Amino acid sequence: MSDKHTITVTVNGHVYTDDCEARMTLADFLRRQCGLTGTHLGCEHGVCGACTVFLDDVAVRSCLTFAVQADGARIKTVEGLAEGDELNTLQKSFQENHGLQCGFCTPGMLMCATELLRENPNPTETEVREGISGVLCRCTGYDGIVRSVMAAADSRRDGVSESGSIS
Amino acid sequence: MTTTEPQSTKYAGKPQPGIDDPSLLTGSSTYMDDITVPRMIEGAVLRSPVAHARITRIDVSKARELPGVFDVITGNDLVEIAGEQPVIWYPIPEQRIARAHALATDTVRWVGQGVAAVAAVDRYVAEDALELIEVDYEPLPVVADLEQALAPDAPKLYEDWPDNVSGSMTLTAGDADAAFAEADVVVGASFRHHPGYGCPIETRGCISNWDVFSGRLDVWLGTQSPNLARELFAQVLSLPVSKIRVRTPEIGGGFGLKFDFYPEGVIAAILSRRSKRPVKLLEDRQESFVASSRSRDMRHDFEMALRSDGTILGLRGTAYGVLGGALGTVGAGPPWASVLTSMGPYKIPNQELTLKAVMTNRSPYGSYRGWGVPKGNIVHERLIELAARKLGMSRIELRRMNFPAPDEFPYFSGAAFTFDSGRYADCLDLATSAVEERGWNELQREGREAGRSIGIGYGFHIEPGAYGPSRVLNMVGLDHSGFDEVYVRMDSAGKVTVLSGQISTGQGTHTTYAQLVAEGLGVPIEDVTVVTGDTESCPYTGYGTGGSRAATLGGAAIVNATGRLKAKILRIGAELLEADPEDLELDNGRVSVRGAADSSVSTADIGYSAYRMLNGRLPESETPTLEEVDVFDPANMTTSYACTALLVEVDRQTGAVKLLDCLQAHDAGVIINPLLADGQLAGGLAQAFGGGLFEEFVYDDDGQIRTASFMDYLIPSATDIPPFHFYHQETPAPHIPGGMKGLGEAGTIAGVSVVGSAIDDALSDLGVTVCEFPMTPPRLLELIRAAQSGEATT
Amino acid sequence: MKPPPFEYRSAHDSAEAVTLLTEYGDDAKILAGGQSLVPLMNFRMARPSVLIDINQTQDMTHIHAEDGHLVVGAMTRQRVLERDQTAGSAVPLLPAALAHSGHTTNRNRGTFGGSLAHADPAAELPTVLVALGGELTVQGPSGKRTVPAEDFFLAPLVTSLEYNEILLSARLPRLPRGTGVRVEELARRHGDFAIVSVMAAVHLDSNGRADLVRIAAGGVDSTPIRLHEAEAQLSGTTLDDAGIDAAAVAAADSVQPTDDVHGSASYRLEMVRVLVARAIRSAITHQKEGHP
Ligand code: FES
Ligand code: FES
Repeated sequence: MSDKHTITVTVNGHVYTDDCEARMTLADFLRRQCGLTGTHLGCEHGVCGACTVFLDDVAVRSCLTFAVQADGARIKTVEGLAEGDELNTLQKSFQENHGLQCGFCTPGMLMCATELLRENPNPTETEVREGISGVLCRCTGYDGIVRSVMAAADSRRDGVSESGSIS
Repeated sequence: MTTTEPQSTKYAGKPQPGIDDPSLLTGSSTYMDDITVPRMIEGAVLRSPVAHARITRIDVSKARELPGVFDVITGNDLVEIAGEQPVIWYPIPEQRIARAHALATDTVRWVGQGVAAVAAVDRYVAEDALELIEVDYEPLPVVADLEQALAPDAPKLYEDWPDNVSGSMTLTAGDADAAFAEADVVVGASFRHHPGYGCPIETRGCISNWDVFSGRLDVWLGTQSPNLARELFAQVLSLPVSKIRVRTPEIGGGFGLKFDFYPEGVIAAILSRRSKRPVKLLEDRQESFVASSRSRDMRHDFEMALRSDGTILGLRGTAYGVLGGALGTVGAGPPWASVLTSMGPYKIPNQELTLKAVMTNRSPYGSYRGWGVPKGNIVHERLIELAARKLGMSRIELRRMNFPAPDEFPYFSGAAFTFDSGRYADCLDLATSAVEERGWNELQREGREAGRSIGIGYGFHIEPGAYGPSRVLNMVGLDHSGFDEVYVRMDSAGKVTVLSGQISTGQGTHTTYAQLVAEGLGVPIEDVTVVTGDTESCPYTGYGTGGSRAATLGGAAIVNATGRLKAKILRIGAELLEADPEDLELDNGRVSVRGAADSSVSTADIGYSAYRMLNGRLPESETPTLEEVDVFDPANMTTSYACTALLVEVDRQTGAVKLLDCLQAHDAGVIINPLLADGQLAGGLAQAFGGGLFEEFVYDDDGQIRTASFMDYLIPSATDIPPFHFYHQETPAPHIPGGMKGLGEAGTIAGVSVVGSAIDDALSDLGVTVCEFPMTPPRLLELIRAAQSGEATT
Repeated sequence: MKPPPFEYRSAHDSAEAVTLLTEYGDDAKILAGGQSLVPLMNFRMARPSVLIDINQTQDMTHIHAEDGHLVVGAMTRQRVLERDQTAGSAVPLLPAALAHSGHTTNRNRGTFGGSLAHADPAAELPTVLVALGGELTVQGPSGKRTVPAEDFFLAPLVTSLEYNEILLSARLPRLPRGTGVRVEELARRHGDFAIVSVMAAVHLDSNGRADLVRIAAGGVDSTPIRLHEAEAQLSGTTLDDAGIDAAAVAAADSVQPTDDVHGSASYRLEMVRVLVARAIRSAITHQKEGHP
């Protein structure tokens, strides 16, 4: 009774067309069919947030979406964050502020924080904590992560005042 | 903040960001599940749905017929090839050791015990096949918890045992009975830490490739202890160690949980051998609650005797380790360590400490960061606060007056550990002045005036690290060693590679090793590569990456090897520069004559001379190549310590506790990397707050776990954890080159009892005493109600 | 934790969804945001043989005001609803409740109708609907019907939807300008399902008497429960302390919670009392302090 579909998704600007069973999650499609293993699976039931990706510009949990539902969609994963060979502002900030240890939650944390800063470029610490509360980190105690997100917001603000636009 | 003089170092002691971070931040690193090897298929394990039963029938025929299935095995298939799962810790003399095979053969003794396994084209199909396996269970009476296990008429897990007690032992110092008889004050309580687990966000996994034709077993394993795993694979599968290779990919968090040696590695090996394909077997989150080591589960009935002036005279009590249906890799090790550390940092001349290890129909007990010590900490920190209350003394002063003084070190604790060095009172002062500085006392006063229940908790902990002197570990019952070996190699281009048997689980082993080498040699940190995680190329480490060993033992070995390598580099430099080695220095990758910078050669020149153009460049007396090996077996363990303070608010109507702020004054000897060190402390504290307030395996009377999802097993999120502030003092470990002490477990040890202390303080007008963890809102509300209605709470 | 196999069908509009539901019968399930259904499938606790995906539909995604009501289409994403000005000013309880409903990444994908149709008794949106006496519009093969919220939720995860009916939208009465609202929720962590939640809306007239009191509780019974008795005790009064405390006791008397791992029935009963009193008091403050 396996129900196969052929889907096409654009991930980080590349077009992928492949077959998948209806039941294959988007996370597994990205990891297994597209070879994009940066998106992690920590629970497969929608709580840990490690699998967070952008689906048509909105951060979602890719373990709770079937790949077939993403047919035709534009997806961005952690592999698509860096700017050329350089880490982006948020990634740099995570490195400088020790916003990661094992790195397993990090892809989800980065995607979640990217959306948070897009919607709220000047978050308070409380807003950052609430904003990332849907991604579980077991290593850091969140201290470094909160600092990283706050610092990224700061440096983007500085970037705005210097260049007049958000990079 | 540090209380020691800043040293003029380039890398050591500096907040160097993680050298692996860029790949972790871009999704380009490789974790267990990211690996695909050619011809690989995927497995899944069928687990017992009941806690205690005899298996009367297993029919796998339908599963075998499912398209895409390669093989299905049961326990009976497995025992044809594999022996029982190993136990490496035997701390209790004459303990009855209950071992189990990786798959149950006739009896299941916990929910989640493996009964069959499938290898299929992918995990989806493998899980489909599990649903087609038919098993009949004949139920046996369930021993669901400790109290049931100890009841006089309890059903027995093992028919030929007299009861459910696997073993017991008593450690004594002085004369506890006499001390209690002469005491002015005795305080006591029953402390309960409910079960939880390490819960890395990456679950466990492996890929096993057992090639029967070459006789080689090639394993990718998400483990903290690759050398140990290789030994144990050899033991269980009767293979020569030399035919086994264990590699570790990037590890998504370990926390001790990935130290232990699990059935799945053996199951995957057997599936691979039979199907002649590499088999990936990953634990999913739901399985993890029954398949990964259960930890923390203990009860401590302890009491402390004091003189009216506050001098502690004695400590005695019984600790119950709630073991599972069979022993895990570390047996009763963690419960034993809880007893060994139950006197904490205090001088207690008279001790009588009993450990009872008890079997129940729960999953096997195993390792989790802190390894028993968090519960030792609950015993001494809760009791000392009870004593302070009863004596009407300051809880700070009572602690201080019972510390060993700095000149009393090395200090024998009375049970097993000798604490190497310490300035405990200074550390306490550092914390209390930080509390004052941060305005907590003021906040508490104001809060109370406004009717808020604000509390400040204190806790002092000791952390045994650098496990441990090999012969001592053997003597106390470890069937393994504790030394560490390292290779430091400069290549022909003058760049450095460090090879270690330790591995990195996110704690920064690679970064700190690179710092030590760059500092020790005088080369840029970019020139250092750290290689770990392959038993075929990396050296041997006893034990593994656990017991706060990486920075202490691996670090010491690196300091030693690097020192010798530098001397050789300078000797070669002396030949090239026609100078005396004594007059040379090595800095930023160049060997130069001190005071004459224009007279210098690069490490590339040195490498060229040691590997390629020896003639006229390498001194005749030197062997070619630039490599030093060091094996470091410590003379003693290290004991780091800290004073932790926690600010909380309690909602008296709901029992909810909000963590507002946290600080810790810490001494782990010499700190290699303060940025990473603080990260370790914060992460550990957050885990402890999870154990203190949120995380619990809840079982029903049938031994079913009712919290087997992230919806019900509650690891703290960013909104549950307070900000952290760390203060360091550095008292070097005298016997460790480099002076480092362990710090990986500090947070988990410190963070549970301090939650109790803070809640008690918030409710000091009621006289509540928190003795049970996690202290959930319903539990706390019950304590509050009892106190309000005048009932005693302890 | 891989879901069992199923057949995937995508519906282009609500009518097609109904046709497909009728065709496949009981074995089919509607797939909206997937935030509740897919975890159950990954645990293999739900195993529909057909999923009818309504994410491609256009006719159920809307938010508009209409004769004193707010109408929200079932496929409206929760995060969109939470940030919608029309919805926020007509029914300020909605954004307040949604802030407790999972995390932003759940609400980005999760839908308004999905949460209602899933009918978890501890979920926030069903409790809002019950508190405010909302109505649900459902479509079946023979047309639409309207169901009051209190008749829609029947038991945990059970609604009055027939197998071949689909939830189209829900209507909520617009609250009078200045109504004070409050969501008091006791959850173990931010975003978790409530152990107990209480939603309150209160409006005091110019004489300081309550001319509107709406209270409902979630997590304390087999469905969200409107606390009629407490409302009746408070309506028309000045909401003094004694009255609020008495109403809170009455509220606790009118629910029948059960035990689970996060709280016993008796704990929940006590929390209803505590949270009802808090919610009313905070809602009064909310009105007094004014809000946009
Ligand atoms: S893996 Fe998707 S939320 Fe955990
Ligand atoms: S860095 Fe390891 S889980 Fe977050």
